[in-house]
Amino acid sequence: MNIPELKRLERRDLDMHLTWSEGTEHEISYDDLRHACPCAKCGPQRNDDESSLILRQNVENLPKEKPMVRAVGNYALAFEWSNGCSSGIYRFERIWRLGEKQDPDNGKAYVHGAW
Amino acid sequence: MMADSPVKVNNPGDAPATPSPEEQKKMEAAYNQMKRKMAISQMGKAIKHKIMVLSGKGGVGKSTVATGLALSLAQQGLKVGLLDIDITGPNVPKMMGLGGRRLNVEDGRIHPAQGHLGVKVISMAFLLEDEDTPVVWRGPIKLGAIQQFIGDVEWGELDYLIIDFPPGTSDEPLTVTQNLPDIDGMVIVTTPQDVALLDSRKSITFANSLKVDVIGVIENMSGYTVRGKAPSGTEIELAAPGGKTIHVTADDDGEWAGTLDIFKSGGGEKTAEEFGVPFLGKLPFDPGFVRGGDDGVHRIVSEPDGPASQAFAEVVAQIQSKVESGSSDSRLEII
Repeated sequence: MNIPELKRLERRDLDMHLTWSEGTEHEISYDDLRHACPCAKCGPQRNDDESSLILRQNVENLPKEKPMVRAVGNYALAFEWSNGCSSGIYRFERIWRLGEKQDPDNGKAYVHGAW
Repeated sequence: MMADSPVKVNNPGDAPATPSPEEQKKMEAAYNQMKRKMAISQMGKAIKHKIMVLSGKGGVGKSTVATGLALSLAQQGLKVGLLDIDITGPNVPKMMGLGGRRLNVEDGRIHPAQGHLGVKVISMAFLLEDEDTPVVWRGPIKLGAIQQFIGDVEWGELDYLIIDFPPGTSDEPLTVTQNLPDIDGMVIVTTPQDVALLDSRKSITFANSLKVDVIGVIENMSGYTVRGKAPSGTEIELAAPGGKTIHVTADDDGEWAGTLDIFKSGGGEKTAEEFGVPFLGKLPFDPGFVRGGDDGVHRIVSEPDGPASQAFAEVVAQIQSKVESGSSDSRLEII
């Protein structure tokens, strides 16, 4: 997936504002971001609607805060929160999909151990 | 006589000479080698980080650590591959719940098996008829197999490739460093006792001679924590190795814990300091690793929040900060 380069990330109180190299701007709420955590614990919870809804409620019940943001190499970002899960490494493709209001998992269920 | 000359001269206008079967074989081999080289160069770009896991000595838990590093990275949602180069004793598939799998080859390309947390695995074990059959190969055949495992595997895009080697400073790491471009570096696994430390020092010198960075040293089996319950405030004496006594007290919940340094302690840190390489952390001695390895469920998978998973996560964070610090995108403004 070819996406533009992320140039600027502004952390606001409830969301972040992103500016990409070709001019696209995105707003991603922290709740959306945390619900889309790609780690092995959060990922499987989005596999079905019921557990995904529970994950969403858990995320929304967390205290609102601005995360610490760290660049991971030149391909991803990590977000550190004082509560809840900070394990996920978000590839830029995932962040772009979130900004575009697309499924961050690209329609793929989280599956272990298949060929 | 011209007919006996080893040199063939084609006159202009003659039909091109048909290569002999032997020449054809050589041409095919050269073509395959060229194709492999191109695939390896592509692989260098498609795999962001490549980390070698070595130990100077056998039995230090190197494959368990390599598997744990791969799983801990995959826990973060990263795309991870695990290449088991230990031809003589390939254990990784069993630890990844992939025992008994065979190699999946399509259109001349080898497709890795997917283990726990989606980690892609390639191992010599996938070629074995049964677990009891040893691989008795001379050097050139072994090296050819390694080259194939590097160049002919369809890894796809990966964030990390972890490569598990046999113990010692043999020709496998040499072959990999000569064939695989842009290796980030080497992680050296040791246990705290003097013999293992002596051998890890050799590994560090070996890495220097291969011109591969040493990412750091991991001390495995670094202390066994005994836990128990007793009335709150009870003082307990534990007989520790080396004639030492450890005093612990049960806490308010009646729980107590004491760590026994079965193979001494702190040696990995000392070696790292001595050679000026980073110390990445200690991993506890945990019998659950043995059970988990035998059952095909790594401790990180069975207890994702357990102490072993946390210890691995800390070591992995150290590795990530080392290998990703140089590639951080400074053009991104974060405010």
